[in-house]
Amino acid sequence: MNDKDNRTDRNKENIPAVPPGMWIKCTKCGKLIYRKELEKNKFICMKCGKYFRMPSENRILDIIDEGSFVELFTDVLDKNPIDFPGYSEKKEIIKKETNLEEAVITGKASIGHIEVMLGVCDTRYLMGSMGYIVGEKITKLFENATKAQLPVIMINCSGGARMQEGIISLMQMAKTVDSVKQHSDAGLLYISVLTDPTTGGVAASFAMLGDVILAEPNSLIGFAGPRVIEQTTKQKLPVGFQTSEFLYEHGFLDMIVIRRELKERIYEILKAHQKPKVIERKRKTISVCTFCDYKDSWKKVQLSRKIDRPTTVDYITHVFERFIEFHGDGETGEDQAIIGGIAFLDNIPVTVIGHQKGKTTEERIIRNFGMAHPEGYRKAIRLMKEAEKFRRPIITFIDTPGAACGVEAEKRGEASAIAKCIYEMFNLKVPILSILIGEGGSGGALGLAVANEVWAMENSTYSILSPEGFASILWKNEKRAKEAANLMKMTAKDLLDLGVIEKILPEGNGASEFKVITDFLQVQILDFIYNMSLKNEDEIVASRETRFRSF
Amino acid sequence: MFEKILIANRGEIAVRIIKVCKEMGIKSVAIYSEADKDALHTKMADEAICIGPAPSGDSYLNMENIISAAVGTGAQAIHPGFGFLSENSLFAEKCKVCNITFIGPTPEVICKMGNKVEARNMMRNAGVPIISGSRTPVFDVCEAKKVALELGFPIMIKAAAGGGGKGMRISNTEDDFNENFVTAQMEANSSFRDGTMYLERYIEAPNHIEFQILADKYGNVIQLGERDCSIQRHHQKIIEEAPSPKLSVKLRKEMGNIAIKVAKIVNYEGAGTVEFLLDKFGKYYFIEMNTRIQVEHGITEMISNVDIVKEQIKIAAGYSLEFKQENILLQGHAIECRINAENPKMGFVPCPGKINNVYFPSGNGVRIDTALFNGCSVSPFYDSMLAKIIVYDSERKKAIRKMKNVLEKIKIDGIITNLEFQNAILNHRDFEEGNFTTDFIVDKFS
Repeated sequence: MNDKDNRTDRNKENIPAVPPGMWIKCTKCGKLIYRKELEKNKFICMKCGKYFRMPSENRILDIIDEGSFVELFTDVLDKNPIDFPGYSEKKEIIKKETNLEEAVITGKASIGHIEVMLGVCDTRYLMGSMGYIVGEKITKLFENATKAQLPVIMINCSGGARMQEGIISLMQMAKTVDSVKQHSDAGLLYISVLTDPTTGGVAASFAMLGDVILAEPNSLIGFAGPRVIEQTTKQKLPVGFQTSEFLYEHGFLDMIVIRRELKERIYEILKAHQKPKVIERKRKTISVCTFCDYKDSWKKVQLSRKIDRPTTVDYITHVFERFIEFHGDGETGEDQAIIGGIAFLDNIPVTVIGHQKGKTTEERIIRNFGMAHPEGYRKAIRLMKEAEKFRRPIITFIDTPGAACGVEAEKRGEASAIAKCIYEMFNLKVPILSILIGEGGSGGALGLAVANEVWAMENSTYSILSPEGFASILWKNEKRAKEAANLMKMTAKDLLDLGVIEKILPEGNGASEFKVITDFLQVQILDFIYNMSLKNEDEIVASRETRFRSF
Repeated sequence: MFEKILIANRGEIAVRIIKVCKEMGIKSVAIYSEADKDALHTKMADEAICIGPAPSGDSYLNMENIISAAVGTGAQAIHPGFGFLSENSLFAEKCKVCNITFIGPTPEVICKMGNKVEARNMMRNAGVPIISGSRTPVFDVCEAKKVALELGFPIMIKAAAGGGGKGMRISNTEDDFNENFVTAQMEANSSFRDGTMYLERYIEAPNHIEFQILADKYGNVIQLGERDCSIQRHHQKIIEEAPSPKLSVKLRKEMGNIAIKVAKIVNYEGAGTVEFLLDKFGKYYFIEMNTRIQVEHGITEMISNVDIVKEQIKIAAGYSLEFKQENILLQGHAIECRINAENPKMGFVPCPGKINNVYFPSGNGVRIDTALFNGCSVSPFYDSMLAKIIVYDSERKKAIRKMKNVLEKIKIDGIITNLEFQNAILNHRDFEEGNFTTDFIVDKFS
């Protein structure tokens, strides 16, 4: 009997069979995936590109410099604060199954040789939920980062606060947020990466408070989970609700980053937030193209509106070395009529913000012809404050017929948004330079132009209103725009005479000499940054106030 | 010995393997795509399992379905043939995990030999002659030029991520180096988004010589002589022969020993091919090792009297080699012509279609490996090879004459083939005299 059993077992071993766990079925395309291959492919389905949730150990290896991770805060003691029945036993089982001590791994690492404090959540442990240990480890991570003056990177994924620890879980939200605040008050960078899923008490605390918030595509992000919302409201939720893309559209994400590029993006952002080096004066001689002056103001208006005029993006790509664009106002939406982010000038990081009109018809429509909605101005304020926190100079490019005009813009408070932009710009302790590159239409233009210096490209204009609007209000006849233009004193030359701008920059022959123009501009901007670096914060604020007090 | 083998291939090689299984008393399982429902291999095997739609990505490359078919039919081993999954280490690994014997070397060996740069470095370190080249990748034109001057001209500039001739240039002198390097790198950047380059001495007009190896699991390695595969068009072999008219007895022995050494370095097991380039001065260089059965294995079988497919199966089942090197007696001369469904007058475009009538002659020393039959279809989804015509005779001249006679009698009615082109090559004086290199087709036929 025994002999026979043994034989069957031996046979069994030799029978071709698929061992359990060798293949995983993709929940999106239904195809079978070889587990090892999936791991090699960063847990992305090779067939349909679906993102699987990534175990924390793989995630860490994926974004850090090889061998640089040192785990910290493993000594936080286990608790069952409300003596929840079966909780400790359940944790024991999960520990055995996953080899995880808790739902977050914290430690120190380097990314592209930049030292960081790193926290990575793991959904395999009670859906990455936050109880005492998770809250405590994250708090310690931020506290230690503050002490050591290091940036923090959190890779978040969590169902929220942990039910089994009751009210003590809820308290972790407050505790962690305070540690984030102290870290931020010390002028340090926090990058939050939201992955599938980031919801509940984690989303509503430290996860949404990054200086920069990134998300993986198509991740579930929100406060109340979709099932809870559906059951509570008895409503069917729309497709794409609470995805990364949904949040991006509503202004809460700086960027959606694909997994393959995550390390590179984090590295770029870290680099852009390093303390700027001591600024040196560079005296470059540069051949300048000549001015081509027209006496006719209407001609200038037409030139400033010309469809092939360089846009903000053209200036950014030619004047600066790299540009990392950030999106969203963090409140209601993302407005493509204003773009902003961090760029480098001679390796000095600067914040660049500008109206973007667009090149093709499609792009012009998406960008609303450079006419920004309230969320555009709110995004500008957000990015300017971020610049101030990290002591970066701000360069703005002005190119708008005016702020967006319409029901939606009014509903969301266009006037208030512009007012606040003007108000906040007076507050900023970093130097601001504004450059008029096309149309400077009304409050929509001024909203980004409360600067220490304002410069104008020779064929740009800046005015209280478009000449058409001016003629229509004053003479009830839009057709007298040409006449209005000549009276309004809106050309660069007029503006210089009125003291509204400090400098006129030549445009030469336009496109053919654009390289010369931008090289020249680069030198001029570097000079501005150098001059301003000699002033202290109070002097910078005061000089801006004095400038506008004179009008 | 295995009781049942699944053949993860199609066409003539699947047919060939099924025939061997029958000879050995092993049950065979064919797999087929929807396009191959009526194919010869599907009909001939003891069992046949459909593994997906016509495109090979969904069928003959679909590892999950193939392994399911093996598990479902209880096949203990999979013979991958050539092409498709035959040199896919991941597939070999998956077979292993599922307790299925992959008839071929271990996944580790496939992987090592599949990485051409690593394989070259490994062989260089072991003292196997290779074409001198840059040991580390080069990125910058100035740095590259220094390396090039050290190596000597002419030089081949290659993209590390390269393939299909993209990012590849030949620089003949110092003067044209910079230009060629920059263009190759630009091409590499745009094609592979990777500007990592390698430099290699360019061997002018070489012969492509490959040695057939057999190695068992116990460290016994033998070689079955060489094949000369220099008659190529765009790196596609057209005519192969064994032995090569270019090798002396001494050189053959020397290269054969090196081939055995290569196999031993990586602990090779199964049938494999060690490829060399032979330059006009009689110097030879290792280029790569193919870790599978080759299309042209038949000519070696003719001169060595060893059934290589049979040996593959025996080795995989754990048998040790029955013969030693001294038992291998290479005799006579064998030539293979590949008959393809392609139109030489239209840039060799594949010409699939229905075959109304097909006739292959037979006779002493004539072997036809094919999967064609009257009324079968040649699918546009797969390789266009229709048949391998192999002849054997006591000496090269006689073999050529025999081949000409055989080709003349072949009838393939319904589609266009390269039969005439093959005839033209056979009738070329330089070919008849064994006076050819890999440049033969380019020089004489374009």
